[in-house]
Amino acid sequence: MQALRTAATGMAAQQLNVEVISNNIANMNTVGFKRQSAVFEDLLYQTYEQPGAQSSDSGNVVPTGVQIGAGVKAGSVYRITGQGALTNTGNALDLAINGQGYFQVLMPDGTTAYTRAGNLSANNQGQIVTADGYLVQPTISLPANTTNITISQTGQVQATIGGANAPTVVGQIQLATFLNDAGLDAIGNNLFDESAASGPATAGNPGAPGYGMVMQGYTEASNVDPVSEITNLIVAQRAYEMNSKVVTTADQMLSTATQTKT
Amino acid sequence: MDNAIYVGLSRQMILERELDITANNLSNVDTVGFKFESMISNDDPVTMPTLGQPPTAVNFVAGVGVARDFTQGSLTQTGAAFDVAIDGRGFFQINTANGPRYTRDGRFRMDASGQIVDQDGDPVDGAGVVDPKKGPVTISPNGVVSQSGQNTGKIAVYNFDSLAALSKDGNNQYRNDSNLTPTAAPNAQVRQGFLEQSNVEPIRQITRLIEINRAYDAIASMMSTTADLSNASIQRLGAVNPS
Repeated sequence: MQALRTAATGMAAQQLNVEVISNNIANMNTVGFKRQSAVFEDLLYQTYEQPGAQSSDSGNVVPTGVQIGAGVKAGSVYRITGQGALTNTGNALDLAINGQGYFQVLMPDGTTAYTRAGNLSANNQGQIVTADGYLVQPTISLPANTTNITISQTGQVQATIGGANAPTVVGQIQLATFLNDAGLDAIGNNLFDESAASGPATAGNPGAPGYGMVMQGYTEASNVDPVSEITNLIVAQRAYEMNSKVVTTADQMLSTATQTKT
Repeated sequence: MDNAIYVGLSRQMILERELDITANNLSNVDTVGFKFESMISNDDPVTMPTLGQPPTAVNFVAGVGVARDFTQGSLTQTGAAFDVAIDGRGFFQINTANGPRYTRDGRFRMDASGQIVDQDGDPVDGAGVVDPKKGPVTISPNGVVSQSGQNTGKIAVYNFDSLAALSKDGNNQYRNDSNLTPTAAPNAQVRQGFLEQSNVEPIRQITRLIEINRAYDAIASMMSTTADLSNASIQRLGAVNPS
């Protein structure tokens, strides 16, 4: 009975679907989170009768053949990189990217990771860091007696030092873009690594063609839509139930077969 | 007499196959662009020589083929720029290393060189190459891919005179095993930001599941009645003092 195994692949697929949906819902309020979606593909087909095979010597042709599929598999779990809503926080070092691009973060191991979570702050040396304390690249140091920070939409960081009348330019925020940002490798903590699928990072200033603007005083909310997640959850649960119904039916038929009188 | 058991067996074997197909439909209830299938069975008359009587035909059950229902699945909005769905008849052509494959699964993406490819990295016929630096990509209903006012390609949608020419290859793809040449499908529209859902109707499949189960049961009880009959006749006719 292939049906038992086919239904099992269906149940496993829906289980994965629920795992992806639950991760989305759990990250509904995560800054810069991008929702994911599981997409399925049908498995291999066993051909009992080839379509187009001849059914008689006089040239009759089997119109459709008999091909029976072996179930379903997860094709991909891909990230939908659509823009999340911008939330006003009023915090001078909260930056949201409106459009394409990622902040570059120097990891403790020396590699560069990428993030859309712009809830930045300054560390004890005045350097701009992420919530985990990792340096934002290129490094921007705020002078010791900075009273006010202004970050323009194109990423220029200006600091008003002490009682000075005019602000001083202290650095420039840069963004990285990728050919295929859905192919980035998620490493947790809102961070991504570049991968073969994403292509190499290209750094540029915010507002340049192909790069988004940075918005000071805002963070980007996750792009999870609770209504569509809950709808997907219902679909996944019902699909799981239907596959379990197939298991029950196959089991009942096997039981009928074993109880047949001989 | 034994014929009844064998006729029943032929029906049960087809029912098991139908169950396999229904199980595959239900496991693909959420598969992009999936088209549900059903078993076509037919009577297979076999003329049995019968002693002293004119020959009578016994109808066995034979599987003729698997029918595929190409009804349009519903389109759901994903908002992703490279998700496209076909509204109408037709298929996307994917140029794989093993030759062209046809699919209604429009989950495309850009590869490292900006070429529009499917999830396995195989190029989509006609879609062309875009420049990731130039901003958003628009795909019009007739398949034209454009970026900052420039046409970079046209996603081709093909159709076949007879869809029976296609075999399923897994991975949501179909293979053209016949010598039919695909023709352009002028009436099909390409919808950007949408994916076509599976056209499996769960109610219909669950009902079919119950039908299969009951039919299998009924045949089993018919076979057991036949066995009882032959048992009874052996006991009666073979008894030393028939009563």
